[in-house]
Amino acid sequence: MTLTLIEAALLVFVLGCALGAALLQDVLASVMAFAAYSLGVSIIWVILEAPDVGLTEAAVGAGIMTILFLLALANTVRPQEDRILERVRFRTVAFVGAFVLVMLATVPSLPAIGAEGAANPVVSGEVTQYYLANAYEQTEVHNAVTAVLAAYRGFDTLGEAVVVFSAGVAALTVLRQEVFA
Amino acid sequence: MSGEDRTGLYVESTIIMTTVRVVAPFVLTFALFVMFHGANSPGGGFQGGVIAGSVIMMLAFAYGIDSAREWVDVRVVTALASGGVLLFAAIGLGTILLGGNFLEYHLYERFLSHATAYGIELVELGIGGIVASVAIGLFFLLAAGYGHAVDTPEAEE
Repeated sequence: MTLTLIEAALLVFVLGCALGAALLQDVLASVMAFAAYSLGVSIIWVILEAPDVGLTEAAVGAGIMTILFLLALANTVRPQEDRILERVRFRTVAFVGAFVLVMLATVPSLPAIGAEGAANPVVSGEVTQYYLANAYEQTEVHNAVTAVLAAYRGFDTLGEAVVVFSAGVAALTVLRQEVFA
Repeated sequence: MSGEDRTGLYVESTIIMTTVRVVAPFVLTFALFVMFHGANSPGGGFQGGVIAGSVIMMLAFAYGIDSAREWVDVRVVTALASGGVLLFAAIGLGTILLGGNFLEYHLYERFLSHATAYGIELVELGIGGIVASVAIGLFFLLAAGYGHAVDTPEAEE
């Protein structure tokens, strides 16, 4: 596939922010780089025509997570150091590099963006086609993502909702509070 | 680590307060739009809930976390979280009582028309309630911090 200028710029921005989040010595700068990374990724989701995921990434990754990180920072001690970048250890680089290699090895098996028919089993697959053809008739909602989330895979979504609820309960337990306040 | 340091978190700023006062209603409206209209446009309960929760965080940044904590009713936050789970589970289990499978919305058709659409909407609202209240709750919990929470458990009543 060919990249447009915007896509290429976004990818460079996201990679830069990811490196910044990993390498910057100052934790506050790291958190900011991570927020920028999330914002960039959310725009990439929109370009890839996954606005539902983009909205989630922007709201959770760039919004709530940043606020929670900042609050955690405000409640802890931030060591002052003169150096800008973290000291890079060879072991860490080797480990992260191996992980990235494993992840990259899966990329060639993904279908090309925008590919149709047999070249893209994700789109042409029976399940996807069934959802696209029957979602409105069976669930009366236009957004197929919502149809899958709330109707076809409703049981999974109940599980996810309970996970969020449990996270709240776990936080209360760990902090020995009885109410959210 | 708690007491004096935490009060330093809040800086009273006319610019931030005015901006938040203007923007907050629109953000809340957008959150409700994303939640209610998620069936026909991008979005849904998860996204709308997070945006709704961020309204409280905006208010907390503008007017101080402690004022926001006093303003938000704890019972409402807790009720939203557990009520959301209960609502979702009740809608899902209700269809089993009617003789169908879990979340088989169209069985409610005998009580009201377009039951599937309304059922999905209610489920999204339940999810939104859970996500918004847990986000708000985590925000307040983290802001209070561990030491603060253990020192004054009865002050939060």
